[in-house]
Parts: sequence; structure tokens; C-alpha cells
Amino acid sequence: MRRRTLTLLPLYAALVFFAALTLVPFAWMLAAAFKSREDFFSSFFLPRGDGLLGIAWGRLTLVNFQRLFAEFPIGRAMLNSLFLASVTSAFATLACAMGGYGLAKFAFRGRGAITALVLGALVVPTSLLIAPSYQLLWQLGLLDSYAGLILPALAPAFGVFLFRQTMLNAVPRELLEAARIDGAGELRIFFTIVLPLARPTIGAFLLIVFLGSWNNFIGPQTVLQEPGAFPLSVAINNLRGIYATDYGLIMAGTLLSIAPVMCLFLLLQREFVAGLTAGAVKG
Amino acid sequence: MPSQRPLDFLPTGAWIVLALAVLSSAACLAWPVRARPGRQFWLFSPPNEQHYRAAIARWNAAQPDPAAHANLTLIHFQALERRLVAAFTVDAPVADLVETESLMMARAFGAPLADIGFVDLTDRLSAEGLFDRINAPSFSIWTTRGRTFSLPHDVHPCLLAYRADLVEAAGIDVSTIETWDDFRRVLGPLVRDLDGDGRPDRYLLNFWETNRDLVTVLLRQAGAQFFDADRRLELDTARNAHVLASLVSWIAGPGRFCVDAPEFTAGGDAMRLDGTVLCSILPDWQAGTWKNYLPGLGGKVKLMPLPAWEPGGRRTSVWGGTSLGITKAAPDFERSWALAKDLYLSPQVAESLFRATNIVSPVKDLWTLPFYHEPDPYFSGQKVGALYIAQAPHVPERRSSPHAALVMDRMVTVLSALKARANAERRFDAPALLPEARRLLALAQRELSTRIDRNLLAGSAP
Amino acid sequence: MKPAPPYPRWAPWFFTAPFLVLFGVFTLWPLAQSLVLALQQTFGPKRTVFVGLGNFEFLLRDPLFWHAMRNTAFYALGAVAIQLPVALGLALLLNRPKLRGRACFRLIFFAPSLVGLVFVGVIFTLLFQKRTGLINAGLHALWRGWDPEFAWLDQHVMPALIVASVWLYAGFNMIYFLAALQNVNRELLDAASIDGADPWARFRHIVMPEIRPVAGFVVLLSVIGSFQLFELPWVLLNNSAGPGDRGLTVVMYLYQTGFLTGDLGYASAIGWVLGLLLTGVAFVQARLARAEVP
Repeated sequence: MRRRTLTLLPLYAALVFFAALTLVPFAWMLAAAFKSREDFFSSFFLPRGDGLLGIAWGRLTLVNFQRLFAEFPIGRAMLNSLFLASVTSAFATLACAMGGYGLAKFAFRGRGAITALVLGALVVPTSLLIAPSYQLLWQLGLLDSYAGLILPALAPAFGVFLFRQTMLNAVPRELLEAARIDGAGELRIFFTIVLPLARPTIGAFLLIVFLGSWNNFIGPQTVLQEPGAFPLSVAINNLRGIYATDYGLIMAGTLLSIAPVMCLFLLLQREFVAGLTAGAVKG
Repeated sequence: MPSQRPLDFLPTGAWIVLALAVLSSAACLAWPVRARPGRQFWLFSPPNEQHYRAAIARWNAAQPDPAAHANLTLIHFQALERRLVAAFTVDAPVADLVETESLMMARAFGAPLADIGFVDLTDRLSAEGLFDRINAPSFSIWTTRGRTFSLPHDVHPCLLAYRADLVEAAGIDVSTIETWDDFRRVLGPLVRDLDGDGRPDRYLLNFWETNRDLVTVLLRQAGAQFFDADRRLELDTARNAHVLASLVSWIAGPGRFCVDAPEFTAGGDAMRLDGTVLCSILPDWQAGTWKNYLPGLGGKVKLMPLPAWEPGGRRTSVWGGTSLGITKAAPDFERSWALAKDLYLSPQVAESLFRATNIVSPVKDLWTLPFYHEPDPYFSGQKVGALYIAQAPHVPERRSSPHAALVMDRMVTVLSALKARANAERRFDAPALLPEARRLLALAQRELSTRIDRNLLAGSAP
Repeated sequence: MKPAPPYPRWAPWFFTAPFLVLFGVFTLWPLAQSLVLALQQTFGPKRTVFVGLGNFEFLLRDPLFWHAMRNTAFYALGAVAIQLPVALGLALLLNRPKLRGRACFRLIFFAPSLVGLVFVGVIFTLLFQKRTGLINAGLHALWRGWDPEFAWLDQHVMPALIVASVWLYAGFNMIYFLAALQNVNRELLDAASIDGADPWARFRHIVMPEIRPVAGFVVLLSVIGSFQLFELPWVLLNNSAGPGDRGLTVVMYLYQTGFLTGDLGYASAIGWVLGLLLTGVAFVQARLARAEVP
């Protein structure tokens, strides 16, 4: 018994070492968010001084956060981000789950071709589509609207691929047939049988799309015209001037930006881990 | 078998996201983003956006019709580029007024004159005498084929900032420095190994072959234009070769006196603060950056004109540039033009900009205003505005081209190759490296021309 | 006669419709447009000329494209060869049954994936500084032979990007490996250790074959993602390709050509060549995976 606990010690040491390495940038971000401009370059983490542990605790300040809320409409930006990310992820999950289910569990003409197209689209570099997509949005009249940002993100090939894999592996045909024999409608089957079996993938995909939308900053700035509609990512990125950068402000903004997604990850952790692999394990 | 708990078909997190979606949609519907009535004005520079607010508010207050109001929108540089490309290519919506940076405008100049998305202001500028009122060389980068398409925002002359405390303590009088050779000779003794480790700990100048901006600044000081009057590539000149060959001995070999202390980096700033680097080439906007972000240098630095490349030569250069263009899509040119002039010719905006960012206006009648001539404690009491203004008429002209970035990158490559050759042969003096410099420039010209000319449309724009 | 399907005829179309419409409009249509663009040259607004395969011909001789391809391939290789073993190693460490705080470590390792690229660009520019950057300072402190002036972002951009990618993505890939490891048959492992097999042998002969499908999938995703590298170096090098184009990647070259120089046609050609290359990679990987299964 004791020997096994002892062998865990180097394990913990290794894990703590790697965790520390991973956390260095975050520690820097935390320190930077609370430092004033004068102190910024004087020390890498916290300003040195006469306080506890040789750190000038008194020099830490909330001025960056105050400036963020006073000079920029951060509250509205956060609302816009929440709106865009939640609506996009919710509808994308629905569309891809339905699409994956359709491709996996039904036989129809053209299914092979469509599946091949989806698989092929997985390797298309997104930058290839920027210019034609912009032109398309203009032609459809979707520029300067949230729809122009949300609609193109609702059917990523990756999502359909993931859900198709999940449905193939996790949803047995016998279960569906039994439910149909029992007289259940197709919609009912989808919501009460199929979705629960795909729970992990739902959690994983939801988080991925939420994250992608939350951190996207070039797309919103090109499509949306009114600054009041800009999400948080744009607001923070705009703090980066071309000739000078106020690091403290940016770090304070980044802190605000990370908090919600970290909470979401904590909630969806278990599903996320299980869901990502649902498509991978059985290949 | 249907699931036992009715809400089980989605994970908890998913329910939360759904709730968020519903709540935030309701909030967005309840507080919709109202399209502001009036015309759009796009900018990429945060300080400018702040300084124009008061002036724009005054302007809007004087407009009887709300549809004539101007709305400032701050857009990130990269997104603004994309919006302009899209606007001019597919007629997507574009603002009436756009503040552009030099590289952005250069791209717009790739088209035939008739297709450039900004309004040709040449005749207007001439008729209103603005070509005389505004610093002449500052128009060059906003002009193509003899036509000017925007109003210059700045001059951006470059001076040399030096650690007066350290230089004067060594008993050196910088007024004896007129050329870069003088610079190296007079200040050379200050390059010293202070801690005995065999490597110098004090260098004279922040410069390195990887610093694309500084390489360009120095080449321009010597008169490099990179493109001739017909917008063809012009790299292989004796002048360019001489400058590049001379620069090698600045950064390599026994007489090296430069160190890489990049701008806007913690490492570079630390070197400026502790005196590892004594001098920096400083445009007016960077003096502003120093005042805002490097308070530790306050009272220790002074400015002087740049050492010239030869006696009697130019003692300044130019770095960057912003201007205001009116797009052809603007429905009311006269009103946009009036607003542009209101902003750019206004003493109040010029003062507010100077006080916050140290940027000097290109409008010559504003140069006598008192705020440019106040002693600046950061620069040891020197009248910083006046010093930059003194060099303003001498800033080099620049020819605009969409391939400018390509060329500047290539100059860095040439300098690196030249330095490698010098290190290999252990010969660092300029005359020895001149033939190799010409060879590399000729090669660069050939290769870049092939690349530029392969596009059937690029060279032929009338 | 085939038996009638148990579900109504409208069912498959109902379920695939939303995705089909959106995919067709917002992915397939722009893709088709980009193919048309690839056969043209454009310059500046509104000027296009049809050149057939001219863009592709130039691409084969274009030194900058091949330079970008070499850089990108080097990065992809390094990312896979370094980042994935790190991810696997972390997963192995975390997989021990008696480990406490697994969820906490998992969150820490995954956290880098949660931040936006702006932050990554800012922090890594600072970390990679010469002399004062933490990476050079730390390495110099550990091993005096390390040159504190090591020019990460001037000379060795691709290695710097590989380091950054380890920080960014190892945690994400670790999760794939973790789940795969948890599916490995415990009884086999226990039987093997009773038989006296050492940990390395157990790993090689039991664990590795079982996680091979997932490993293949992760490698494929990593390669595809790595070849599309653009935003990270772009942000790190302050919207440029770095001195001597050392940070130039294929997608960065696509962006520069299309949006900075203005030749959307050539940019589309680059994109198509990249897409075809990645399709080839996926094909090869699928073949290899199928060959494994007896």
C-alpha cells in the first residue's frame, strides 16, 4: 500500500511541474491586469517592493478594469458575445445533430455523395472562403446583421462528421426499430432516444462552437458595421493600437473574457471529454 | 427505451447555454443596437478616436439635420483593411470618411485612377490653396500619377533621441555631430564593456537588420524611393548599395555600435532604461509613446536632428503616415469635405492630439501656435514640437505602391545576406561590400519584378 | 422487392435539410466561387482576367510559395512529433487510477485552449524576447550554455511556433488520449503485469495497439490543423511574415496575396493546392488505418 503511494509522488511532481509551466502565462495575465502603466515593464510578474514576499502589494490597482468599463461599452460587448456564442452553438448543435442523424441512420439516394462532400469539406482551408463568403453575404443582404455572422457558422463540416460518427456508433438500429414498432413519431424518437445517447457529443460540440464564436474577432468586425453590436473579442482586440499597446487594459479585458468560458468548460467537462472521443475511438 | 428523467437528453451545460441564448436574445431585442443616423467615419487609431470625439460632437451640434451627423467607428487595422478591399471590390457598404494608413492607401492605389475608391482631391486642394498651407512632402505618399486622394494627417519627421545624462556626463558635445560617420567617431568611446565579461554593455544606437521599419527609415533618409516616377521597381541604385553596405559595419564586425532593442518590447525598453542603448531614432509619434509608457526616461533624454549620410545631407527621415480620404460612395461630398477640413485644420484638435501623442500637424499655419513651443520636461526642457517642426519641410518624399511591403521585406533580406557575407569574409568596411550589395540588389530587383509583372493587370494600370 | 423502410419518406430529408441548406449555401457555393477565382487574376478592385491554369503554373515555380510550404511542413512535423507525445505523456500521467485532483489538472492543461489568439500573441511575444524573455532567461538559468540572446522571433520562428503550439494544444489532444487510455482493457494490463512485464513492454504491446485508432485520428487532425497555421504567427510577428519571411506559412501567403497585394485569384489557387494536398494526406492516413485492421 505505502509503496504505491510513494510511487505516486514523482507522478505528482511531474504533473505539478507541467501544470506550473502551463500556468505561467496565466499568472502573467493576472499580474498584468492589476498593474499600473508605470510598473508594467519594471518587473515580469508583480511589482517589487517592501511588502510581503518582497512584493509591493499596495501598487496593485483596479484602474484597468475601471477604464474598461468607463471608456468602452464592455457590458454591451459582453451581452453581444453571450448572445452570438449561445445562439450559434445552440442552433449549430441542433442542425449538426439532425444532419448527422439523417446521414447515419437513414438510407436515401444521394447519401453517399453528401457524406463524401462533408468529408471533403473537412480539409478545405477556411481562408480560401473569406472573399467569396463576404461577397455572398453582401448579395444576400446579410451584412451588418447578426444573422450574417450566425448563419454561416451553423453547419460546419466538422460538426456533421462528429455527430455522424457518434450516431453510427452509439445508436443501435434495433432501438430505433423497436420504438417505431411501438408507434413513436420520428421527432419523438429523435428527442427522447437519439439525443440522450449522443449527450457526450452534444456537450463537446456545444463547447467547441461556443469557444470558436466567443474568441472570433475578425469575422464580427468585417460583417457588423455598428460598433454597438461588436462582441467582447472585438472590443479587446481594438485595445491593441498600431503604434502602442496598453497591455494592462488588454489583460484586464482578457480576464473578463476568459471567465465565462471557463465556467462553461467546468460545467461541460465530463461530456466534453467523452464526446470528443466518441468520434475518434471507433474511428 | 425513452429516458427516465425528462430533462436528461441534454447535459446540464447545454441547458445553461440554451437558457443563455433565450435570455440574451430577449435582452438584445429589448435593447436593440440602433443604427446611428448620419454618415460613417471609420478609424483604426484609438487615440484619434478619442480626440475627435469633442470635435465631432461640436460638428454634429451645428448640423440641423440628424442625417448629416458623423459617427465615429473604431475598427481594428486588419478588419479595416478587409472592409476596404470588400467595399472597393464588391461595392459593399463603406463609410464616407476613412482614416487610412500608408500601406492601406498604397493598396487602393493599385487600381487605374478611375477605379480608386477614394475621391480625387487634387483640384479641390489646389483651388483652396491647401497645397501651400500643408507641408508639401507630406502629400507624396497619398499621391499617385500626380493625383492626390486624401488629406495628410501628419508629417512624422524623425529625430535622434539620446541619453543626455550619460552623454553629457562623458563630456561629449553632440552639436559637433553632423553625419553618421561623425556619430560613430564622436560617440564611439562610449561603447564599453562595463562588467568585464568581454562583451560591450553599452551601445550607441537601437538598430538591427531585422528591424524592417528602421532599415526603411535609414534608406529613405538617403533618398531611396524604391519605385520610379512610372511606378516601376527601382532597387538597384548606387545609393541604396552604399547605404546597405555601410549599415553592415553598424551591426557586425569590430566596429559594431548598434544593438537590437526593439520598440514596444519589455526587453528593448529595459535596455533603454538602463542605458544599454544610448540613442534611438525617434519619430514624433514614438516620442509620444515614450512619454506615455516609459516615464523612467523622463528628464534624461534630449533630441537632436538625425546625423546625415553626407555633409549637408538630409537630417531627418519619415516613419509611418495616416490620412483622411473621402470615399466615392459618400453621397454628400461637400459636407464630408467640410468635416475633413474642420478636423484636420482645427487648432483645437491639433493641440489635443499633440498633447496626448506628440504628433505634429502638417498644416504650416498651425506651426506657430504656442503649444508646439512649450518646453517639455520629459526631454529636459527642449521645445519638442519646434524641433520636429524644424525638420518637417525636409522629410523625404515617398512613392506609393501596393508592393511596398514586399520591397521593405526584401531590403531586410538583402541586409542580412550582406551581413552574413561580411562575417564570412571578415571584411566589414563599406567599399569592400559594395559589389556584393549591388549584386544582391540587382537580384532582388529581378526577382521582385518577375513577381510583380506576372500579374497581367498590375503593371498596366494607367 | 426491398421491404419498405420503417420510417416515413420525409424523415431523412427533414433531418438533413437544415444542415444541407446551410452547408450548401455557406460552404459549397463559396467553394465553387473560389474555384472560379483560382482560374483568374485579379488586381485592385473590380479587375479580373481569365488565365486558365496560369496561376497554378506560376505556383509551381514560385520560390515564396515553396518557402512557405517548407516552413509549414517543418512546423507540422515538429508539432506532431513533439506536441503529440507530450499530450500522450500527460494523458498517461493523468490516467493513474489513484490520482487525486485529476479534474483540476485536466482543467489546467486544457485552459490554454480557452483563451483567444490575441492574448497568446501578446504573451508569447513577451516570453520569446531576447535576454529578458522568460524562455531565454529560464533556459539560461537551467543551462549556462544557452545563449540568452537566442533570437526566437527573428531567426527561429518555426521552432518558436512549435513551442507555442505545445502550450496551446497539448492539453486539447491530451483529452483525446485520456479517453482512449481509459478504454484500454484493464484486465489485459493486470494480467501482463502479473506475468512480469515491465511498464515499457506493457505500453508497447498492449496500450499502443489499443489507442492506435485514436492516435491516428489525432495525428490526422493535427496535421490538417498545422498546415492551416496562420493566425498564430501573424499575431506573434505583429501582422507580418517576420524578417526574411521566416514566419511565412502557406495560409499566411494566401492571405497576403489575396488581401494585401490584391490578387484574389492567385490566393484562391494557393488555397486549392493546399486543399488538394490535405485531401491526399487524409487519403493516405485512411489507407494506413484500414491496412492496420486485419
